[in-house]
Amino acid sequence: MEQDTITTLSDEELVKKTLSNKEYFGEIVDRYEAKLTRYIARLGIRNPEDQLDVLQDIFLKVYKNLNAFDTSLQFSSWIYRISHNEAISSYRKKNVRPEGHLIADSEEMLGFLSGKEDAQDVMFDRNINAEVVNKALLAIDNKYREVIILRFFEHKEYEEISDILRIPIGSVGTLLHRGKKQLVTELNQDAIRM
Amino acid sequence: MKNTPPNKSSLKNTLLERIEQENHHPRSRWFFRSRECVIWFLWLITVIVGAAAFAVSFFVMTHYQYALYEATHANFLTFIISALPYIWLIVFAVMTFLAVYNLRHTKRGYRYSVPTVLMSSILVSFAAGSTLHFFGLSYAIDSYLGAQTAMYQSQDEVDIALWQRPSEGRLLGRQVHSTAAPTQLIIFADESDTRWRMDVTELMPEDIKLLQQKKPVRVLGVVTEADYNIFHACGVFPWTYQKNMTRQDLSKNRQEFLQKMRSQNEYAQQQLLTIEEEVFGEGSTSSPLTTKVCAEIAMMKRISRSME
Repeated sequence: MEQDTITTLSDEELVKKTLSNKEYFGEIVDRYEAKLTRYIARLGIRNPEDQLDVLQDIFLKVYKNLNAFDTSLQFSSWIYRISHNEAISSYRKKNVRPEGHLIADSEEMLGFLSGKEDAQDVMFDRNINAEVVNKALLAIDNKYREVIILRFFEHKEYEEISDILRIPIGSVGTLLHRGKKQLVTELNQDAIRM
Repeated sequence: MKNTPPNKSSLKNTLLERIEQENHHPRSRWFFRSRECVIWFLWLITVIVGAAAFAVSFFVMTHYQYALYEATHANFLTFIISALPYIWLIVFAVMTFLAVYNLRHTKRGYRYSVPTVLMSSILVSFAAGSTLHFFGLSYAIDSYLGAQTAMYQSQDEVDIALWQRPSEGRLLGRQVHSTAAPTQLIIFADESDTRWRMDVTELMPEDIKLLQQKKPVRVLGVVTEADYNIFHACGVFPWTYQKNMTRQDLSKNRQEFLQKMRSQNEYAQQQLLTIEEEVFGEGSTSSPLTTKVCAEIAMMKRISRSME
């Protein structure tokens, strides 16, 4: 395998190659390890050992199910879907709620506050502390938090979110809208408490 | 987010080693294809059963004895309640739910909203059900189940049970003997082969003719002497159970029924006046003969009220 050639391959081409030579799978792991670690951490798996276990489960599942990958979808949507399901089944297995976690650090939160156009209506006060927003994000319903994480922190498009969470595209918009409303309510309550 | 990922090369190497040592392989493409086929197959089955349920429901509702509902039910509401094919409607609802569930679990099913998938499943079942009904399969399914299973009553069995209720003034059967003209009494064998002495004095000549054809008929009236099986007939109607009955036929039947009951009323009153005049002379105002059996029974009163 020539390293230079591999890096230029698309995910979909890598999948095809992996089916005939498993060594190519290493490149898939390299491409997605950091992204998925961040994603499962945002979903509540904070302990590095747990993260490693879940990541191994995710990649093994990906490998065993490579033939199930639908090439009309984006590979990243498919692998995120598997990661989402594995993260959820991980805390179901352990029968615990997701750990309290930082969804994003200050830098990312700043991006969230000033970045996406559709995040603007959430922000009524740009001076709000990143920690306060994190707290508010943790307080909102899980179904809303999942969509907000994918949209604003993983920077996924509506169609990708629909493929990852296996919900209609229309529902993505609805969940985002309701999630933002709930987030604003939480932030307001926090402001009052402060 | 500054969350340090586990050692990059370590994870890759660990995974590749595990794949090698634990002998993991990608599952075959056929495994996933056959799983998808099973889901679609289950969906197809639910749609077919749903379509059959819709077809039989449609058949049952359109073949219920609407034309003579006043004769069999207290009012239109009780008629509708008893006419609804609950089992089939439940089967249809369950099959629609399963069809939606299956469709949502296909590869791309999640992309469509539940109302869209639900409406499309209902529409497919409606279209397929109407086709089945058009080719007479709704009647065939209903009759087959009625004949094969003790738990299920087919529509003709329901109709027979509805009309074979002497205590409620309804009989289903045929004439077996009659007295010489002018016919006043006949022997009538009902569905359970019980012989009835039937008083036909209040029947119109057309009704008598209908009885004389010795074909199955429905008779409205009242049991006057239960111990001696004496039945006073007030109206006779042909047994019209046909699989190909259309809405026009049903509505025509209804009109014929109302027309017949109107004529029956006028005829009975005219006949009594004639008898009174013959017996008591012109100008007579009261006599025991004015007590008309048919006019006094609850069912006939109900029918008269609905015709007003």
